Amino acid sequence: MAENTEYAISVNDVKIRYRVFKKISLLKTILAPHKYKKTELFEAVKGVTFNVPKGQILGIVGKNGSGKSTLLKAIAGIFSPDEGVIDLHGHSVSLLSIGVGFQNKLSGRENIYLSGMLLGFNKTQIDEKLDEIIEFSELGDFIDRPVKTYSSGMYSKLAFSITAILETEIMLIDEVLSVGDAKFKKKSYEKMKSLITNADRTVVIVSHSSDTLKQLCDTILWLHEGEVKMQGACEEVLPKYEEFMS
Amino acid sequence: MGRFLKDFKKFFNYVVFSSKAELKSEVADSFLSWLWWFLDPLLYMLVYSFIAVVVFKSGVQYFPVFVFLGLNTWTFFSKTVKASVKLVANKKMIVTKVYIPKYMFVFEKIGVYGFKMVVSNLLVVITMIGYKVPVSWKALWVIPITLVLIVVTFGFSTIIMHFGVFVEDLLNVITVVLQLGFYLSGIFYSIESIGTKIVGRVPAPYDDLLVKLNPMALLITDLRRVLLYNSDPHWVMMLIWFFVGVVLSLIGTTIIYKFENSYVKVI
Repeated sequence: MAENTEYAISVNDVKIRYRVFKKISLLKTILAPHKYKKTELFEAVKGVTFNVPKGQILGIVGKNGSGKSTLLKAIAGIFSPDEGVIDLHGHSVSLLSIGVGFQNKLSGRENIYLSGMLLGFNKTQIDEKLDEIIEFSELGDFIDRPVKTYSSGMYSKLAFSITAILETEIMLIDEVLSVGDAKFKKKSYEKMKSLITNADRTVVIVSHSSDTLKQLCDTILWLHEGEVKMQGACEEVLPKYEEFMS
Repeated sequence: MGRFLKDFKKFFNYVVFSSKAELKSEVADSFLSWLWWFLDPLLYMLVYSFIAVVVFKSGVQYFPVFVFLGLNTWTFFSKTVKASVKLVANKKMIVTKVYIPKYMFVFEKIGVYGFKMVVSNLLVVITMIGYKVPVSWKALWVIPITLVLIVVTFGFSTIIMHFGVFVEDLLNVITVVLQLGFYLSGIFYSIESIGTKIVGRVPAPYDDLLVKLNPMALLITDLRRVLLYNSDPHWVMMLIWFFVGVVLSLIGTTIIYKFENSYVKVI
Protein backbone atom coordinates (compact mmCIF):
# COMPACT_ATOMS: atom_id res chain seq x y z
CA MET A 1 0.00 0.00 0.00
CA ALA A 2 1.23 3.49 -0.83
CA GLU A 3 2.69 5.57 1.95
CA ASN A 4 0.15 8.35 1.76
CA THR A 5 -2.98 6.26 1.66
CA GLU A 6 -6.06 8.22 2.54
CA TYR A 7 -7.92 6.40 5.26
CA ALA A 8 -11.65 6.51 5.65
CA ILE A 9 -11.85 4.56 8.87
CA SER A 10 -9.16 4.33 11.50
CA VAL A 11 -9.80 2.09 14.43
CA ASN A 12 -7.13 2.32 17.07
CA ASP A 13 -6.88 -0.10 19.98
CA VAL A 14 -10.60 -0.13 20.53
CA LYS A 15 -12.04 -1.87 23.54
CA ILE A 16 -15.75 -2.18 24.09
CA ARG A 17 -17.13 -3.48 27.31
CA TYR A 18 -20.59 -4.40 28.23
CA ARG A 19 -20.91 -3.51 31.83
CA VAL A 20 -23.66 -5.90 32.55
CA PHE A 21 -25.80 -3.06 33.80
CA LYS A 22 -28.53 -5.09 35.26
CA LYS A 23 -31.63 -3.03 35.46
CA ILE A 24 -32.19 -1.98 39.01
CA SER A 25 -35.42 -1.74 40.85
CA LEU A 26 -35.90 0.81 43.59
CA LEU A 27 -38.05 -1.56 45.57
CA LYS A 28 -35.55 -4.38 45.40
CA THR A 29 -32.70 -2.05 46.30
CA ILE A 30 -34.49 -1.09 49.46
CA LEU A 31 -35.63 -4.59 50.35
CA ALA A 32 -32.64 -6.60 49.20
CA PRO A 33 -29.63 -4.33 48.73
CA HIS A 34 -27.03 -7.11 48.93
CA LYS A 35 -28.07 -8.39 45.54
CA TYR A 36 -26.53 -5.45 43.73
CA LYS A 37 -22.96 -5.70 44.82
CA LYS A 38 -21.48 -7.18 41.68
CA THR A 39 -21.36 -5.52 38.33
CA GLU A 40 -20.13 -7.99 35.80
CA LEU A 41 -17.85 -6.72 33.11
CA PHE A 42 -17.81 -8.36 29.76
CA GLU A 43 -15.35 -7.27 27.12
CA ALA A 44 -16.76 -7.84 23.65
CA VAL A 45 -13.98 -6.15 21.71
CA LYS A 46 -10.50 -6.43 23.22
CA GLY A 47 -8.21 -3.92 21.63
CA VAL A 48 -8.74 -4.00 17.90
CA THR A 49 -6.69 -1.89 15.51
CA PHE A 50 -7.15 -1.56 11.78
CA ASN A 51 -7.44 1.02 9.02
CA VAL A 52 -9.63 1.01 5.99
CA PRO A 53 -8.36 3.09 3.06
CA LYS A 54 -10.90 5.18 1.25
CA GLY A 55 -12.81 3.25 -1.37
CA GLN A 56 -11.91 -0.12 0.02
CA ILE A 57 -14.24 -2.94 0.91
CA LEU A 58 -13.50 -4.71 4.13
CA GLY A 59 -15.18 -7.92 5.15
CA ILE A 60 -15.33 -8.95 8.78
CA VAL A 61 -15.67 -12.62 9.61
CA GLY A 62 -15.77 -14.49 12.87
CA LYS A 63 -17.94 -16.90 14.75
CA ASN A 64 -21.00 -15.80 16.64
CA GLY A 65 -20.16 -13.61 19.61
CA SER A 66 -16.75 -12.61 18.33
CA GLY A 67 -17.63 -8.93 18.52
CA LYS A 68 -18.29 -8.26 14.83
CA SER A 69 -21.63 -6.53 15.19
CA THR A 70 -20.49 -4.67 18.27
CA LEU A 71 -17.56 -3.28 16.36
CA LEU A 72 -19.79 -2.32 13.47
CA LYS A 73 -22.16 -0.49 15.77
CA ALA A 74 -19.27 1.35 17.34
CA ILE A 75 -18.09 2.49 13.89
CA ALA A 76 -21.63 3.63 13.14
CA GLY A 77 -21.51 5.73 16.31
CA ILE A 78 -24.36 3.93 18.01
CA PHE A 79 -22.16 3.50 21.00
CA SER A 80 -18.73 4.78 21.76
CA PRO A 81 -15.75 2.57 22.61
CA ASP A 82 -14.73 2.40 26.24
CA GLU A 83 -11.10 2.75 25.22
CA GLY A 84 -9.39 3.62 22.01
CA VAL A 85 -10.39 5.85 19.15
CA ILE A 86 -12.47 5.43 16.03
CA ASP A 87 -11.85 8.14 13.49
CA LEU A 88 -13.99 8.40 10.38
CA HIS A 89 -12.06 11.41 9.09
CA GLY A 90 -15.25 13.37 8.69
CA HIS A 91 -17.04 10.95 6.38
CA SER A 92 -20.75 10.35 6.63
CA VAL A 93 -21.70 6.90 7.75
CA SER A 94 -24.76 4.71 7.87
CA LEU A 95 -25.47 1.24 9.06
CA LEU A 96 -27.55 -0.45 6.43
CA SER A 97 -30.45 -1.74 8.41
CA ILE A 98 -34.04 -2.58 7.93
CA GLY A 99 -36.87 -0.22 8.75
CA VAL A 100 -35.39 2.43 10.98
CA GLY A 101 -38.09 4.23 12.90
CA PHE A 102 -41.06 3.28 10.76
CA GLN A 103 -44.45 4.49 11.92
CA ASN A 104 -46.83 1.74 10.94
CA LYS A 105 -49.90 3.89 10.61
CA LEU A 106 -48.33 6.30 8.17
CA SER A 107 -47.87 5.91 4.44
CA GLY A 108 -44.73 4.57 2.87
CA ARG A 109 -43.97 7.99 1.47
CA GLU A 110 -44.01 9.63 4.89
CA ASN A 111 -41.89 6.86 6.27
CA ILE A 112 -39.25 7.53 3.64
CA TYR A 113 -38.92 11.04 5.06
CA LEU A 114 -38.93 9.77 8.61
CA SER A 115 -36.18 7.22 8.02
CA GLY A 116 -34.20 9.55 5.81
CA MET A 117 -34.15 12.33 8.39
CA LEU A 118 -33.14 9.85 11.03
CA LEU A 119 -30.20 8.88 8.84
CA GLY A 120 -29.18 12.53 8.85
CA PHE A 121 -30.50 13.74 5.50
CA ASN A 122 -32.50 16.91 5.15
CA LYS A 123 -35.80 17.29 3.38
CA THR A 124 -34.42 18.61 0.08
CA GLN A 125 -31.95 15.74 -0.16
CA ILE A 126 -34.77 13.28 0.36
CA ASP A 127 -37.02 15.10 -2.09
CA GLU A 128 -34.38 14.62 -4.75
CA LYS A 129 -34.16 10.91 -4.17
CA LEU A 130 -37.81 10.26 -3.45
CA ASP A 131 -38.85 9.11 -6.90
CA GLU A 132 -35.84 6.87 -7.21
CA ILE A 133 -36.61 5.23 -3.88
CA ILE A 134 -40.26 4.66 -4.77
CA GLU A 135 -39.35 3.27 -8.16
CA PHE A 136 -36.70 0.97 -6.76
CA SER A 137 -39.02 -0.34 -4.08
CA GLU A 138 -41.55 -1.45 -6.74
CA LEU A 139 -44.39 -0.56 -4.40
CA GLY A 140 -46.42 1.41 -6.92
CA ASP A 141 -49.65 2.73 -5.45
CA PHE A 142 -48.95 1.12 -2.13
CA ILE A 143 -46.49 3.89 -1.36
CA ASP A 144 -49.38 6.08 -0.25
CA ARG A 145 -50.99 3.45 1.91
CA PRO A 146 -50.13 2.89 5.56
CA VAL A 147 -47.11 0.71 6.13
CA LYS A 148 -49.13 -1.61 8.37
CA THR A 149 -51.04 -2.81 5.29
CA TYR A 150 -47.80 -4.01 3.69
CA SER A 151 -46.77 -7.61 3.42
CA SER A 152 -43.47 -8.38 5.10
CA GLY A 153 -41.81 -8.54 1.71
CA MET A 154 -43.05 -5.10 0.75
CA TYR A 155 -41.96 -3.75 4.08
CA SER A 156 -38.40 -4.90 3.65
CA LYS A 157 -38.32 -3.79 0.03
CA LEU A 158 -39.15 -0.27 1.12
CA ALA A 159 -36.66 -0.34 3.95
CA PHE A 160 -33.92 -1.63 1.69
CA SER A 161 -34.64 0.97 -0.97
CA ILE A 162 -34.39 3.80 1.55
CA THR A 163 -31.01 2.83 2.87
CA ALA A 164 -29.64 1.77 -0.49
CA ILE A 165 -30.58 4.90 -2.35
CA LEU A 166 -29.84 7.45 0.33
CA GLU A 167 -26.16 6.66 0.13
CA THR A 168 -23.44 7.73 2.52
CA GLU A 169 -19.68 7.77 2.06
CA ILE A 170 -19.14 4.90 4.43
CA MET A 171 -21.62 2.04 4.44
CA LEU A 172 -21.71 -0.57 7.11
CA ILE A 173 -23.53 -3.75 6.28
CA ASP A 174 -24.45 -6.35 8.84
CA GLU A 175 -25.09 -9.49 6.83
CA VAL A 176 -25.68 -8.87 3.16
CA LEU A 177 -29.35 -8.23 2.90
CA SER A 178 -31.41 -10.28 0.61
CA VAL A 179 -35.03 -9.34 0.81
CA GLY A 180 -38.24 -9.77 -1.10
CA ASP A 181 -39.04 -12.27 -3.82
CA ALA A 182 -36.47 -13.87 -6.09
CA LYS A 183 -36.57 -11.05 -8.58
CA PHE A 184 -36.14 -8.32 -6.00
CA LYS A 185 -33.44 -10.33 -4.29
CA LYS A 186 -31.42 -10.39 -7.44
CA LYS A 187 -32.04 -6.71 -8.04
CA SER A 188 -31.14 -5.72 -4.50
CA TYR A 189 -28.01 -7.82 -4.64
CA GLU A 190 -26.99 -6.09 -7.88
CA LYS A 191 -27.74 -2.72 -6.30
CA MET A 192 -25.66 -3.58 -3.29
CA LYS A 193 -22.86 -4.66 -5.53
CA SER A 194 -22.92 -1.43 -7.49
CA LEU A 195 -23.08 0.56 -4.26
CA ILE A 196 -20.24 -1.36 -2.80
CA THR A 197 -17.99 -1.28 -5.82
CA ASN A 198 -18.33 2.48 -6.27
CA ALA A 199 -14.72 3.62 -6.07
CA ASP A 200 -15.44 6.48 -3.67
CA ARG A 201 -17.33 4.44 -1.18
CA THR A 202 -15.80 2.70 1.76
CA VAL A 203 -17.67 -0.36 2.88
CA VAL A 204 -17.49 -2.68 5.83
CA ILE A 205 -19.42 -5.91 5.54
CA VAL A 206 -20.05 -8.38 8.30
CA SER A 207 -21.04 -11.77 7.00
CA HIS A 208 -20.92 -15.48 7.60
CA SER A 209 -20.98 -16.32 3.94
CA SER A 210 -17.48 -16.74 2.53
CA ASP A 211 -18.88 -16.76 -0.97
CA THR A 212 -20.37 -13.29 -0.75
CA LEU A 213 -17.28 -11.91 0.88
CA LYS A 214 -15.03 -13.48 -1.75
CA GLN A 215 -17.07 -11.79 -4.44
CA LEU A 216 -17.30 -8.39 -2.83
CA CYS A 217 -14.37 -7.68 -0.58
CA ASP A 218 -10.82 -6.48 -1.03
CA THR A 219 -9.56 -7.42 2.39
CA ILE A 220 -10.79 -9.49 5.26
CA LEU A 221 -10.54 -8.96 8.98
CA TRP A 222 -10.98 -12.07 11.06
CA LEU A 223 -12.14 -11.44 14.59
CA HIS A 224 -11.91 -14.13 17.18
CA GLU A 225 -13.26 -13.55 20.66
CA GLY A 226 -12.84 -9.83 20.44
CA GLU A 227 -9.35 -9.84 18.99
CA VAL A 228 -7.95 -9.66 15.50
CA LYS A 229 -6.89 -13.15 14.54
CA MET A 230 -5.86 -12.38 11.00
CA GLN A 231 -6.05 -9.57 8.51
CA GLY A 232 -5.21 -9.61 4.84
CA ALA A 233 -6.35 -10.33 1.32
CA CYS A 234 -9.38 -12.55 0.76
CA GLU A 235 -7.43 -15.44 -0.70
CA GLU A 236 -5.18 -15.48 2.30
CA VAL A 237 -7.64 -15.21 5.14
CA LEU A 238 -10.80 -16.91 3.96
CA PRO A 239 -9.38 -20.42 3.40
CA LYS A 240 -7.82 -20.39 6.86
CA TYR A 241 -11.05 -19.17 8.37
CA GLU A 242 -13.02 -21.89 6.64
CA GLU A 243 -10.55 -24.46 7.80
CA PHE A 244 -10.79 -23.16 11.34
CA MET A 245 -14.55 -23.23 11.33
CA SER A 246 -14.97 -26.69 9.89
CA MET B 1 -23.31 23.40 24.90
CA GLY B 2 -21.84 23.87 21.43
CA ARG B 3 -22.51 20.25 20.70
CA PHE B 4 -26.07 20.65 21.90
CA LEU B 5 -26.74 23.49 19.48
CA LYS B 6 -25.11 21.65 16.60
CA ASP B 7 -27.07 18.47 17.25
CA PHE B 8 -30.24 20.43 17.82
CA LYS B 9 -29.88 22.06 14.44
CA LYS B 10 -29.07 18.78 12.76
CA PHE B 11 -31.99 16.84 14.20
CA PHE B 12 -34.52 19.64 14.50
CA ASN B 13 -36.21 18.72 11.24
CA TYR B 14 -36.49 15.12 12.31
CA VAL B 15 -38.06 16.16 15.60
CA VAL B 16 -40.64 18.33 13.88
CA PHE B 17 -41.39 15.68 11.28
CA SER B 18 -41.66 12.83 13.75
CA SER B 19 -43.87 14.85 16.10
CA LYS B 20 -46.17 15.51 13.19
CA ALA B 21 -45.97 11.86 12.20
CA GLU B 22 -46.97 10.78 15.68
CA LEU B 23 -49.92 13.15 15.74
CA LYS B 24 -50.95 12.06 12.28
CA SER B 25 -50.79 8.41 13.11
CA GLU B 26 -52.97 9.07 16.13
CA VAL B 27 -55.57 10.65 13.88
CA ALA B 28 -55.05 8.08 11.12
CA ASP B 29 -56.95 5.37 12.99
CA SER B 30 -60.15 7.23 13.31
CA PHE B 31 -60.43 10.68 11.92
CA LEU B 32 -62.46 11.81 14.89
CA SER B 33 -59.79 11.02 17.44
CA TRP B 34 -58.62 14.62 17.39
CA LEU B 35 -62.01 15.46 18.88
CA TRP B 36 -60.72 13.83 22.04
CA TRP B 37 -58.12 16.56 22.31
CA PHE B 38 -61.12 18.81 23.12
CA LEU B 39 -63.37 16.30 24.77
CA ASP B 40 -60.76 15.19 27.31
CA PRO B 41 -60.35 18.58 29.01
CA LEU B 42 -64.03 19.34 28.56
CA LEU B 43 -65.20 16.21 30.35
CA TYR B 44 -62.60 16.51 33.09
CA MET B 45 -63.64 20.09 33.62
CA LEU B 46 -67.20 18.87 34.20
CA VAL B 47 -65.95 16.32 36.72
CA TYR B 48 -64.00 18.93 38.67
CA SER B 49 -66.87 21.38 38.47
CA PHE B 50 -69.02 18.78 40.15
CA ILE B 51 -66.46 18.16 42.87
CA ALA B 52 -65.62 21.79 43.48
CA VAL B 53 -69.03 23.38 43.15
CA VAL B 54 -71.35 20.65 44.38
CA VAL B 55 -69.21 18.76 46.89
CA PHE B 56 -66.95 21.48 48.26
CA LYS B 57 -69.33 24.35 47.55
CA SER B 58 -66.56 26.60 46.30
CA GLY B 59 -67.24 29.09 43.62
CA VAL B 60 -64.46 30.57 41.58
CA GLN B 61 -65.01 33.27 39.02
CA TYR B 62 -64.82 31.91 35.45
CA PHE B 63 -64.51 28.41 36.85
CA PRO B 64 -64.46 26.49 33.53
CA VAL B 65 -61.62 28.62 32.14
CA PHE B 66 -59.89 28.40 35.48
CA VAL B 67 -59.95 24.60 35.28
CA PHE B 68 -59.04 24.41 31.58
CA LEU B 69 -55.92 26.48 32.13
CA GLY B 70 -54.80 24.32 35.01
CA LEU B 71 -55.69 21.07 33.34
CA ASN B 72 -54.14 21.75 29.95
CA THR B 73 -50.90 22.99 31.45
CA TRP B 74 -50.70 20.10 33.87
CA THR B 75 -51.53 17.53 31.19
CA PHE B 76 -48.72 18.80 29.00
CA PHE B 77 -46.22 18.55 31.82
CA SER B 78 -47.30 15.23 33.28
CA LYS B 79 -47.72 13.44 29.95
CA THR B 80 -44.29 14.51 28.77
CA VAL B 81 -42.66 13.49 32.04
CA LYS B 82 -44.49 10.18 32.15
CA ALA B 83 -43.66 9.39 28.52
CA SER B 84 -40.00 10.07 29.23
CA VAL B 85 -39.65 7.24 31.72
CA LYS B 86 -39.76 4.46 29.14
CA LEU B 87 -38.87 6.59 26.16
CA VAL B 88 -35.53 5.04 25.30
CA ALA B 89 -36.86 1.51 25.56
CA ASN B 90 -39.86 2.43 23.41
CA LYS B 91 -37.55 3.79 20.74
CA LYS B 92 -35.49 0.64 20.69
CA MET B 93 -35.88 0.26 16.94
CA ILE B 94 -34.16 3.59 16.45
CA VAL B 95 -31.70 3.53 19.31
CA THR B 96 -30.13 0.25 18.22
CA LYS B 97 -29.70 1.32 14.62
CA VAL B 98 -28.69 4.94 14.29
CA TYR B 99 -27.13 7.58 16.45
CA ILE B 100 -29.42 10.30 17.63
CA PRO B 101 -28.95 12.41 20.75
CA LYS B 102 -31.52 10.75 22.99
CA TYR B 103 -32.94 13.96 24.43
CA MET B 104 -34.31 14.60 20.94
CA PHE B 105 -37.02 12.11 21.86
CA VAL B 106 -38.01 14.43 24.70
CA PHE B 107 -38.29 17.30 22.23
CA GLU B 108 -40.46 15.07 20.07
CA LYS B 109 -42.81 14.45 23.01
CA ILE B 110 -42.83 18.15 23.84
CA GLY B 111 -43.85 18.74 20.23
CA VAL B 112 -46.66 16.21 20.40
CA TYR B 113 -48.09 17.21 23.78
CA GLY B 114 -47.39 20.88 23.13
CA PHE B 115 -49.50 20.75 20.00
CA LYS B 116 -52.30 19.05 21.90
CA MET B 117 -52.05 21.70 24.59
CA VAL B 118 -52.42 24.43 21.99
CA VAL B 119 -55.46 22.69 20.53
CA SER B 120 -57.13 22.22 23.89
CA ASN B 121 -56.31 25.80 24.83
CA LEU B 122 -58.72 26.82 22.09
CA LEU B 123 -61.27 25.86 24.72
CA VAL B 124 -59.77 28.51 26.95
CA VAL B 125 -60.12 31.13 24.25
CA ILE B 126 -63.69 30.10 23.46
CA THR B 127 -64.82 30.08 27.09
CA MET B 128 -63.04 33.37 27.75
CA ILE B 129 -64.99 34.93 24.92
CA GLY B 130 -68.16 33.30 26.23
CA TYR B 131 -67.63 34.81 29.69
CA LYS B 132 -66.51 38.12 28.17
CA VAL B 133 -63.41 38.05 30.35
CA PRO B 134 -61.71 41.46 30.13
CA VAL B 135 -58.20 40.94 28.78
CA SER B 136 -55.42 43.42 29.41
CA TRP B 137 -51.90 43.72 28.04
CA LYS B 138 -50.88 41.49 30.94
CA ALA B 139 -52.05 38.57 28.84
CA LEU B 140 -48.76 38.88 26.98
CA TRP B 141 -47.14 37.27 30.00
CA VAL B 142 -48.43 34.01 28.52
CA ILE B 143 -45.39 33.92 26.25
CA PRO B 144 -42.65 33.96 28.92
CA ILE B 145 -44.76 31.67 31.12
CA THR B 146 -44.99 29.12 28.30
CA LEU B 147 -41.25 29.37 27.77
CA VAL B 148 -40.60 28.60 31.43
CA LEU B 149 -43.06 25.71 31.20
CA ILE B 150 -41.16 24.19 28.28
CA VAL B 151 -37.74 24.64 29.86
CA VAL B 152 -38.83 23.16 33.19
CA THR B 153 -40.60 20.26 31.48
CA PHE B 154 -37.55 19.52 29.33
CA GLY B 155 -35.24 19.67 32.35
CA PHE B 156 -37.27 17.23 34.42
CA SER B 157 -37.98 14.93 31.49
CA THR B 158 -34.38 14.50 30.33
CA ILE B 159 -33.19 13.57 33.82
CA ILE B 160 -36.10 11.18 34.29
CA MET B 161 -35.51 9.64 30.87
CA HIS B 162 -31.93 8.86 31.80
CA PHE B 163 -32.85 7.11 35.02
CA GLY B 164 -35.80 5.42 33.35
CA VAL B 165 -33.34 3.41 31.28
CA PHE B 166 -31.74 1.82 34.31
CA VAL B 167 -34.43 1.78 36.96
CA GLU B 168 -37.17 -0.60 36.01
CA ASP B 169 -39.81 0.43 38.53
CA LEU B 170 -39.30 4.16 38.08
CA LEU B 171 -42.64 4.42 36.31
CA ASN B 172 -44.48 3.32 39.46
CA VAL B 173 -42.72 5.97 41.50
CA ILE B 174 -43.22 8.71 38.93
CA THR B 175 -46.92 7.90 38.61
CA VAL B 176 -47.45 8.39 42.33
CA VAL B 177 -45.34 11.54 42.45
CA LEU B 178 -47.28 12.99 39.51
CA GLN B 179 -50.54 12.17 41.24
CA LEU B 180 -49.33 14.09 44.27
CA GLY B 181 -48.17 16.90 42.00
CA PHE B 182 -51.61 17.03 40.45
CA TYR B 183 -53.26 17.73 43.80
CA LEU B 184 -50.54 20.15 44.86
CA SER B 185 -50.76 22.24 41.71
CA GLY B 186 -54.24 23.61 42.26
CA ILE B 187 -55.85 22.33 39.09
CA PHE B 188 -59.42 22.67 40.35
CA TYR B 189 -58.92 24.98 43.30
CA SER B 190 -56.94 28.12 43.90
CA ILE B 191 -53.90 27.72 46.12
CA GLU B 192 -53.59 31.41 46.97
CA SER B 193 -56.01 34.29 47.05
CA ILE B 194 -55.99 36.43 43.96
CA GLY B 195 -57.40 39.93 44.40
CA THR B 196 -60.57 40.00 46.45
CA LYS B 197 -62.62 37.60 44.38
CA ILE B 198 -60.55 34.42 44.47
CA VAL B 199 -60.18 32.82 47.88
CA GLY B 200 -57.15 30.62 48.41
CA ARG B 201 -57.84 27.14 49.74
CA VAL B 202 -54.41 26.54 51.24
CA PRO B 203 -53.78 28.28 54.59
CA ALA B 204 -50.83 30.65 54.98
CA PRO B 205 -47.89 30.26 54.95
CA TYR B 206 -48.24 27.04 52.96
CA ASP B 207 -49.97 28.72 50.04
CA ASP B 208 -46.97 30.92 49.41
CA LEU B 209 -44.53 28.04 49.85
CA LEU B 210 -46.47 25.81 47.51
CA VAL B 211 -46.61 28.39 44.76
CA LYS B 212 -42.92 29.10 45.10
CA LEU B 213 -41.62 25.57 45.41
CA ASN B 214 -43.89 23.78 42.98
CA PRO B 215 -43.14 25.11 39.50
CA MET B 216 -46.41 23.79 38.10
CA ALA B 217 -48.42 25.55 40.82
CA LEU B 218 -46.52 28.72 40.03
CA LEU B 219 -47.06 28.49 36.28
CA ILE B 220 -50.73 27.62 36.54
CA THR B 221 -51.45 30.31 39.13
CA ASP B 222 -49.66 32.90 37.06
CA LEU B 223 -51.43 31.92 33.86
CA ARG B 224 -54.73 32.51 35.64
CA ARG B 225 -53.54 35.76 37.16
CA VAL B 226 -52.51 37.29 33.85
CA LEU B 227 -55.33 35.92 31.70
CA LEU B 228 -58.35 35.99 33.97
CA TYR B 229 -57.83 38.24 36.94
CA ASN B 230 -55.74 41.05 35.52
CA SER B 231 -52.99 40.71 38.13
CA ASP B 232 -49.24 40.50 37.83
CA PRO B 233 -47.40 37.17 37.82
CA HIS B 234 -44.75 36.30 40.40
CA TRP B 235 -42.12 37.34 37.94
CA VAL B 236 -39.15 36.98 40.26
CA MET B 237 -40.08 33.39 41.02
CA MET B 238 -40.71 32.90 37.33
CA LEU B 239 -37.19 34.06 36.57
CA ILE B 240 -35.77 31.81 39.26
CA TRP B 241 -37.63 28.79 37.89
CA PHE B 242 -36.46 29.65 34.41
CA PHE B 243 -32.87 29.40 35.60
CA VAL B 244 -33.58 26.25 37.59
CA GLY B 245 -35.11 24.80 34.41
CA VAL B 246 -32.05 25.74 32.39
CA VAL B 247 -29.75 24.18 34.97
CA LEU B 248 -31.86 20.99 35.04
CA SER B 249 -31.78 20.88 31.25
CA LEU B 250 -28.01 21.28 31.25
CA ILE B 251 -27.62 18.51 33.80
CA GLY B 252 -30.02 16.32 31.84
CA THR B 253 -28.36 16.77 28.46
CA THR B 254 -24.90 16.39 29.97
CA ILE B 255 -25.68 13.07 31.63
CA ILE B 256 -27.42 11.89 28.47
CA TYR B 257 -24.37 12.73 26.38
CA LYS B 258 -22.20 10.97 28.87
CA PHE B 259 -24.22 7.79 29.23
CA GLU B 260 -26.34 7.46 26.10
CA ASN B 261 -23.90 5.09 24.49
CA SER B 262 -24.50 2.57 27.20
CA TYR B 263 -28.29 2.73 26.81
CA VAL B 264 -28.10 0.31 23.89
CA LYS B 265 -26.34 -2.17 26.11
CA VAL B 266 -29.14 -2.11 28.68
CA ILE B 267 -32.36 -2.17 26.70
